Amino acid sequence: MKRALLIAGGTVGGLGAVLAITPPQLTSSGSINIAGGAAMGSTGSTSTAAASSSTSTKAVATTATTTATKSAKPVATKKATTKATAAASASATATATHSATPTAAATTAAAAPAAKNGTFTGPAVFVNYGTVQVKITVQNGKIVDAVAVQAPTGRNDRYTQMAVPILKQQTLAAQSANIKGASGASYTSYGWFKSLQGALADAGL
Amino acid sequence: MNQLRKQFPVWGTIVDVDCASAVVSAAELDRAMESVIKFCEDVDRDFSTYKSGSWVSRLRRGEVAIEECPDDVIEVWDLCAQAKWISDGAFDPWAVDGGFDPSGLVKGWAADKCADMLVAAGAEHVQVNAAGDLSLRGGFVDGDGVVKPWPIGVVNPNNKMEVVKIYQISDGAIATSGTYERGAHIVDPHTGMIAIGAKSATVVGADGWLCDAMATAVMVGGTDSAKWFGQPELAGYQLFGINRHEDTAWEI
Repeated sequence: MKRALLIAGGTVGGLGAVLAITPPQLTSSGSINIAGGAAMGSTGSTSTAAASSSTSTKAVATTATTTATKSAKPVATKKATTKATAAASASATATATHSATPTAAATTAAAAPAAKNGTFTGPAVFVNYGTVQVKITVQNGKIVDAVAVQAPTGRNDRYTQMAVPILKQQTLAAQSANIKGASGASYTSYGWFKSLQGALADAGL
Repeated sequence: MNQLRKQFPVWGTIVDVDCASAVVSAAELDRAMESVIKFCEDVDRDFSTYKSGSWVSRLRRGEVAIEECPDDVIEVWDLCAQAKWISDGAFDPWAVDGGFDPSGLVKGWAADKCADMLVAAGAEHVQVNAAGDLSLRGGFVDGDGVVKPWPIGVVNPNNKMEVVKIYQISDGAIATSGTYERGAHIVDPHTGMIAIGAKSATVVGADGWLCDAMATAVMVGGTDSAKWFGQPELAGYQLFGINRHEDTAWEI
């Protein structure tokens, strides 16, 4: 009897311990969608002349909730999917059509008279060990939030998914991605930049 | 204005090259771009530590002496020695497990070479982004035809959706080193331990190889790097470091 009690107590205690250490939700975004090892799309060599924008495109394998389409003619076929609420963006299928080059993005931005409000998801960009996809939230022409809806998985999770507000005094909001290039540690900087470019273009920024 | 932009995979990452010229024809830019891509592939072939047949791999195994290597390898070897000296040993490609590993300098060096190849071909405005190590020439031409310095953002290591600083660079280089992308891959040559001096280090200056190597060195040395950063060899160079634990940054 005593032994049975001990076993029962131990089991309950163990179960409690297991429940207590449920992994914390690391990110603030509700729509994190890590795409395992699935390659979302592959960026081939892209060549752009000033006048004609010819873009090598590759249709994209997807997970259930996220679709990224690269348009062959970014400007002509561009369509922005605006999501009015955060709830919608968390559950709805996010469709982002993007332009592959900053040149094209700039053209689009110039054509759009005013920035839109809402949430804009950039294209999923495949980099060496995973996929990067950026989502920005725009209010009154300003970016108020920018998160990775996809980031490479693996041991870098705690870096790539930490969306902590840090370096507050120095952090420029992402609209200062009026930049023409980004310097960061290797690999996904490129994906970050490409995806952000697409989201900015969709937002008319 | 003819413009050409290309991204191509090489060195296990992606290189992004953007060039423009008012005088050089599109066909000539194309040819120059082909040379740049070829050069990058050659760099991979000669310097990769992942390819057992590369000159660097053979150096590491002691199969060849540095004197027997091609000129580019010897040049990088010498630059590594300079960088080690300038950084007071914080950058030391010889203190790596497995022997000589110039990876902390080659990308910046190669970005410069690519940029100079395009300038030699006549392109006035060039940006080469070797996965975060950039080499810039001649600024860029904005929508109104005005030439402006390239605005280059430094990525926030805690949130890559943000840039924490923007440098305006007409001619020069910028390199950022950090543990946040590939995990800890930089070793402190003094201790053999993983480098813990900074979370991210950015160096801006004239030469890409020196920016790249110094950014790596600051990852090791952290704020102690201020001791050697004032050397005459680094006159005109700027440093922006982000500390590991606090929400703080510093610059020189």
